[in-house]
Amino acid sequence: MGQKTPQIYSVELNGAKDMKQTDKGDDKDKYRGLWSTCLELRKNHHKEHVTKEIDLDDHKLSNKELENKYHTNIVTGLSSTQAAELLARDGPNALSPPQETPEIIKFLKQMVGGFSILLWVGAILCWIAYGIQFSNDKSSSLDNVYLGTVLALVVILTGIFAYYQEAKSTNIMASFSKMIPQQALVIRDSEKKIIPAEQLVVGDIVEIKGGDQIPADIRLLFAQGCKVDNSSLTGESEPQPRSCEFTHDNPLETKNIGFYSTTCLEGTATGMVINTGDRTIIGHIASLASGVGNEKTPIATEIEHFVHIVAGVAISIGVLFFIIAVSMKYRVLDSIIFLIGIIVANVPEGLLATVTVTLSLTAKRMAKKNCLVKNLEAVETLGSTSIICSDKTGTLTQNRMTVAHLWFDNQIFMADTSEDHFKQTFDQSSGTWASLSKIITLCNRAEFRPGQERVPIMKRVVVGDASETALLKFSEVVLGDVMEIRKRNHKVAEIPFNSTNKFQLSIHKTDDPTDKRFLMVMKGAPEKILEKCSTIMVNGQEQPLDQSTAEAFYTAYMELGGLGERVLGFCHLYLSADEFPETYSFDVDAMNFPMSNLCFVGLLSMIDPPRSTVPDAITKCRSAGIKVIMVTGDHPITAKAIAKSVGIISANSETVEDIAKRLNIAVEQVNKQDAKAVVVTGMELKDMSEDQLDEVLTSYPEIVFARTSPQQKLIIVEGCQRQDAVVAVTGDGVNDSPALKKADIGIAMGIAGSDAAKNAADMVLLDDNFASIVTGVEEGRLIFDNLKKTIAYTLTKNIAELCPFLIYIIVGVPLPLGTITILFIDLGTDIVPSIALAYEKAESDIMNRKPRHKKKDRLVNKPLAVYSYLHIGLMQSLGAFLVYFTVYAQEGFRPSTLINLRVEWEKDFVNNLEDSYGQEWTRYQRKYLEWTGYTAFFIGIMIQQIADLIIRKTRKNSIFQQGLFRNKVIWVGIASQIIIALILSYGLGSITALNFTMLRPQYWFVAVPHAFLIWVYDEVRKLFIRLYPGSWWDKNMYY
Amino acid sequence: MRRQLRSRRAPVFPHSYRYRLDDQDEVNQNYLADEEEEAEEEARVMVVHNLEEEEEEDEVKEEEEKNEEEGQGQPTSNTWWRKLQIMNEYLWDPEKRMSLARTGQSWSLILVIYFFFYASLAAVITLCMYTLFLTIGPYMPTFTERVKPPGVMIRPFAHSLNFNFNVSEPDTWQHYVISLNGFLQGYNDSLQEEMNIDCPPGQYFIQDGNEDEDKKACQFKRSFLKNCSGLEDPTFGYSTGQPCILLKMNRIVGFRPELGDPVKVSCKVQRGDENDIRSINYYPESASFDLRYYPYYGKMTHVNYTSPLVAMHFTDVVKNQAVPVQCQLKGKGIINDVINDRFVGRIIFTLNIET
Repeated sequence: MGQKTPQIYSVELNGAKDMKQTDKGDDKDKYRGLWSTCLELRKNHHKEHVTKEIDLDDHKLSNKELENKYHTNIVTGLSSTQAAELLARDGPNALSPPQETPEIIKFLKQMVGGFSILLWVGAILCWIAYGIQFSNDKSSSLDNVYLGTVLALVVILTGIFAYYQEAKSTNIMASFSKMIPQQALVIRDSEKKIIPAEQLVVGDIVEIKGGDQIPADIRLLFAQGCKVDNSSLTGESEPQPRSCEFTHDNPLETKNIGFYSTTCLEGTATGMVINTGDRTIIGHIASLASGVGNEKTPIATEIEHFVHIVAGVAISIGVLFFIIAVSMKYRVLDSIIFLIGIIVANVPEGLLATVTVTLSLTAKRMAKKNCLVKNLEAVETLGSTSIICSDKTGTLTQNRMTVAHLWFDNQIFMADTSEDHFKQTFDQSSGTWASLSKIITLCNRAEFRPGQERVPIMKRVVVGDASETALLKFSEVVLGDVMEIRKRNHKVAEIPFNSTNKFQLSIHKTDDPTDKRFLMVMKGAPEKILEKCSTIMVNGQEQPLDQSTAEAFYTAYMELGGLGERVLGFCHLYLSADEFPETYSFDVDAMNFPMSNLCFVGLLSMIDPPRSTVPDAITKCRSAGIKVIMVTGDHPITAKAIAKSVGIISANSETVEDIAKRLNIAVEQVNKQDAKAVVVTGMELKDMSEDQLDEVLTSYPEIVFARTSPQQKLIIVEGCQRQDAVVAVTGDGVNDSPALKKADIGIAMGIAGSDAAKNAADMVLLDDNFASIVTGVEEGRLIFDNLKKTIAYTLTKNIAELCPFLIYIIVGVPLPLGTITILFIDLGTDIVPSIALAYEKAESDIMNRKPRHKKKDRLVNKPLAVYSYLHIGLMQSLGAFLVYFTVYAQEGFRPSTLINLRVEWEKDFVNNLEDSYGQEWTRYQRKYLEWTGYTAFFIGIMIQQIADLIIRKTRKNSIFQQGLFRNKVIWVGIASQIIIALILSYGLGSITALNFTMLRPQYWFVAVPHAFLIWVYDEVRKLFIRLYPGSWWDKNMYY
Repeated sequence: MRRQLRSRRAPVFPHSYRYRLDDQDEVNQNYLADEEEEAEEEARVMVVHNLEEEEEEDEVKEEEEKNEEEGQGQPTSNTWWRKLQIMNEYLWDPEKRMSLARTGQSWSLILVIYFFFYASLAAVITLCMYTLFLTIGPYMPTFTERVKPPGVMIRPFAHSLNFNFNVSEPDTWQHYVISLNGFLQGYNDSLQEEMNIDCPPGQYFIQDGNEDEDKKACQFKRSFLKNCSGLEDPTFGYSTGQPCILLKMNRIVGFRPELGDPVKVSCKVQRGDENDIRSINYYPESASFDLRYYPYYGKMTHVNYTSPLVAMHFTDVVKNQAVPVQCQLKGKGIINDVINDRFVGRIIFTLNIET
C-alpha cells in the first residue's frame, strides 16, 4: 500500500463519531502509530473510542492498475524470487499471536502478588534483626536467619505453585491457538502450485473454489457463482455472492473483495492477494481484540480486597504493637521480632494457594461438563455475571438455514427445527403437499457430497447454497432419497437462480410413465412467483386465484417475513403433451415455454433456527437474575424473531414499535415505559451518546442489538460494565473477539467458534451448548460461596495465632506460639480442610437468587471478618490458651507466676528460675517447656479448627440440615489435620529445630469442650438467622 | 389466519413456560427497583460501612484509587477535599447523628451485645481455669520430668561466668565478696539453728503426713563451708588469689539422689592443661550434697528449706591466664552431658586471676 492516492476510502470498523486521520506513509510506521495511539488512549482512559481506518482502495482499481500496483501479472503470477523478497519484507501470512507476557515476568508477579510483599518484609526484618544481633554478639543464635529463610521459602514455593497452576491452565489452550495449516493454490512463475497459505504475499494470484477458506484478503479478478460465508466477520448467516465488479465504495460491502478466513461456499474465483497476515481485515479485528485490556476478574478484585483487609489488619496491629512494645521499654530489636511474629500470624500464608486449588478443582469439574476454562479466575466470574451479551449466529442459533414454516391450503404449518429432527409431523395428507414436495425436491441444485449414507441427514455435507441445502435436507427427511427421485424425474432444462430474475426454474420428465407431460417447477421470491400464477392449488385442486386467496397469501407472506424468515414461493405447471411433445427441445435463453398462468402451490420459509437447548437455558438465566442481551450483526427483524423464539424477548413483551402497531399510533406517541423490550440497530447506536445507551440498558429488561459492528459490541459491553454489571459475552465469530476480550468473561463456542474467538475468550464451550453456561453460573456461584467459607475458616485461626503475641507483649507470659509453628498450621494442618470446603454442596437453590452486586456483595464482608475475628477467633484463642495454661501449670508454672515472667524467662544466663513450687529451671529446660507450650497451643488450635471446619460447612442452615457426612472430603480434611499434628508432635517431636515436642496425650483433649462450644454457638447463630430473617442479627451475623 | 398461526405455534411456548417468563419479568423488575433503591441508600450512607479502622482505611484507599481513575484531569485538590469530607462524614455525620455509619442506638446495641458475649466468654474461661486449678495440687507439681535432671548454678554470679580479677586491686573482686556475703546471710549459723533442725546425716529426711502440713528443713550452716564461709577469711580467698566459688544444685520437688550415694561435685580444667589447677579444696570435705537435704517438698510447705551448697576453694590456680573450669555433678541418676543444656549436671566458668 505504498502508493498514495488522493482519496482514500476509510472503513470504519467502529461506530465512533470522531475520525482520526492517521498519517499515511510507510506501512510499518502507520501501524506503529496506530498501536501507540491505541495504547495512549487506553492509558488515558479516554472515553472516545479508538478509531481505526482501513485504507483500502483496491476494489476500485482496474485489473491493470492492480497489476502495476503490486508488480504482478494476472496470468503468470509473481516470480518465486519476487515472492521470496515480499515474504521477507512482510512476514508470513498469518495472524501474529497475541503478545504474551514473558514467563519470567509472570513468575515474578506471583512472587510479589498478594501477601508475598508482607512476607518478604517479614523475612527481611528477620535478617535485619539477625544482623543487629550479630553485630552486638557474634555468637547470637541463628533462629532469625532460619525464620527469614523459611518465610522466603514459603513465598517462593507458593509463588511457584501459583505459577505452575496458571501455566497448566494456559497450556490447555496452546492446542487451540495452533491453526490447522492451510494450503493455497497459487500461480507463480506461470505455474499453478499448492503452497502453505502462510507463504502467500501481496500480488500473488490465488484460485479458490467452493469449500476453501480464503487464504488472505483478495481482490477478485474472476468469479463464477462464487458465494462466501462472511458470518464470522459480519454475523450475516446468509451467504454473500462475490463477483469481480466494484459495487460499493465500502470495501466491506463491495462484492469484489474476499476476506481472509472466510469460507468460499460455492463457485470458483481467482483473486489477487492485497493484504496478508495482520494487515487483513481479520487481522485488524484481532489487533482490536488484543488492544482491549483484559478486565480484572471479579474474583481477583475480591481477593485483592481481602488481601487489603488482612494486610491492613496485619500492618496496623503490627505497627500499633511495635509502638506499644517500644513504649513498654522493650528493645527495638525485640519489637522488630514482635512485628515479624504479628505479620506471620496475620497473614494466611496458605490461603492463596488454596484458592488456586479450589478454582482449578472447579475448572476440572466444569471441563467434565464440556466447559473449558482458560483463565482459572473466570470460574467464578460466571457466577457473578449479571448480564450476558450473546451473539446470535452460531451461539444462539445453529448457523444453518432450516425450513421453519410452510404455507399451503391456506394454512401455516410448522416444521421441526431442532438440531437432529428425523420426522416432520405436520399434516402431509393433502394433495397440495404432494405437489409442493415435488417442487421442493426437483427445483433444487444442491447435492449431498457422496459417501455420507451413514451420516445423519442434518449433519451431511452439502454442495450448494444455504437455502437450497435447507430445502434438500428438508425433503430428504420428509420424502427419503431425494437423489433417486431426481433421477426418476429426469431434468431436461434449468434456469439457475439469479438476482435479476429472482426465481429458479427447471423442467422435468415425470416419473409417471403414463403421463407424457413435462413438469415445470419454479421457486423464487414469493411476489414474483405469484405474479406468474393465475391459479392456486388448494387441497390438491387447482382453483382460480381470486382476490381473497391473494390476500391470504400476502397475510401469510407478511406473517412469515415478520418472523425474520426467508420466504420462498413455489409454483408448477404441467406442460400439455400436445404443445410440448417428448422430443421438444427447451431453450432456456429463448424461453420457449410459458412463463405465466402457472399454478401457485405454496410458501416455505427458512430461518437459522435457535439451538434447542437455548430457550431453556435463557429461562434459567432469567430466574437466576441474569439479563440476557442479544448483540448481533444480523438484521433487526431476524434478530428480533430469534430473540422472541429463544425468550430473550419474552412472549408477552412488546417493543415501542409493536405497541405503536397494535394501537395504530405513531411511534413517538407511545409511552416508552410500557415497552419492556427494545431492538436497537447499529445505526441508532451510532448516534447515541453514552448516557442514552446507559438509559437504554437500564430501562429495558429485554434488549436486542442488531446490525452491530465489532467495535459497537465493545461499546455495548462497556455500557453494561458502567452499570456495575459483570458482563459475560458469548460468541463464535471473529467479530465477537474484541467484545469477548473486553467482557468480564468471554465465552466462545468450541465447535463453531473461530480461533480468534477462542483465543480472546476466557471459557470455551466444547459442545457449543449454551446450556453449559447455566452450569457455569451454578458452579461459579457455588465456588464463591465456598470460597467465603474457606476464607472464614482460614481467618478464624489468625486471631488464635495473633493473640499469643499480643498477650506475650502485654502480659509478659512466655511465648505461647512460635512463628515456625504458625507456619505449620497455615501451611500444614489447615490446607486440606480449607480445600475440602470447596466440595461443599450449595445450601439453597443458588440459581434462584439474583447475581451478587459487584460492589456490595463482597467475598470478605464486614460480618465475615467480624464474626471470624471477634467471635470464633476469640473463642478459639481462649481454648488454645487453656491448653497452654494447663501444660505450664501441670509442669509447675501456674498462670499467676507466668505473668511478667518473660524477661527472666528469656535470659540465657538465668539457669535457676524458680517456678510456682520453688523448683529451679535451667534455660534449656524452660525452652523445652516453651516448645511444649507451642505444641500444646498448636494442638489446641488444631482441635478447634476441626469444629471451625464443621461449622463453616454452612452459613445459614444447620449442620444437620446440610448433613454432616455428605461431603466426605471434609472428613479427609479432618483426618489429615489430625495425622499431620500426630506426625509433628510424635514423629518429629525430637527435632528441636521445628520447635515441636512430644505432648502428653491428655492435652489433646483439653480444647475439645471449647470445640463443642464453638459448634453450639454457631448453631445458635444460624438458628437466629433462620428464625429472624432481615433482623439486626441477620444483618450483622450472616456473612 | 393470525389466530391459526398462534395455535400452531403454541407447542414452542408451553403454557408453563410462558407463565414462568411472566413471573420472571416481575422478578426482574423488582430486582431493578431494588437496585435503584439500594443505590440511593448507598448514596445516603456515602461510604461502605466497616467496623474496623483498618478496613475502613482500606476502603477509603480503594475509593481514592477509583476517584483518581475517574477524576483524571480534574484538579486534585478538589477530589482530596471531597475525600476528606466523605471521611469526615463517615466518622461523624451530624445530620443523621451517625458515627462510622451507625447511629448511637445502633452503637449501644452493639456494645451491649458484645459486652454480654464477652462477659459470657469470660465466665466460660474462668470456669475452665477454675477446673484447671482443681486438678492441680498446690503443693506438688503434677509432672516434674521436664525439670529433671537438676541444673547447677554457682555463686557469686552476676550475669557472667567469667571470673576476672586482680588480686592487688580489691575493686576488681570486692563485688564477688559482697555477693557471696549477701548470699550466705541465709546460711548464718544463728539463723539456721533458730529456724531449722539438725537432722541426721546420710539419710533422707522424709516427712510423711498430709500434703498441706508444714515441713521442717534441715540446717545447712555457713560454718560447714569452713574456709569458704567468709567467717575466717572475710574475702573468701579473693584477696589471696584463691577464690571460693559456691555450687548449688537446682531445687526439684521430690528429687532424691540415690540412697547411700550422695551427689558429688568434681571440678577440672575443661580444656587445656589439666595442671592449670593444681588443687581444689571442697567444703564440706565430702564434696557432696548430703542426703538429709532431700527430698524437697515445694516452697508452699517447705518454707525454710535451705539448699545445700558445695564450696570449691581454688587454692592453686595458674595466674594471669584464663582457665576454663568445668564442675560436674556425679552420681546415679545425674545427667551431666546434655549437649543442648550446658547447665544440667554441670557448669562451666573461667577463672582469670591476675596478680
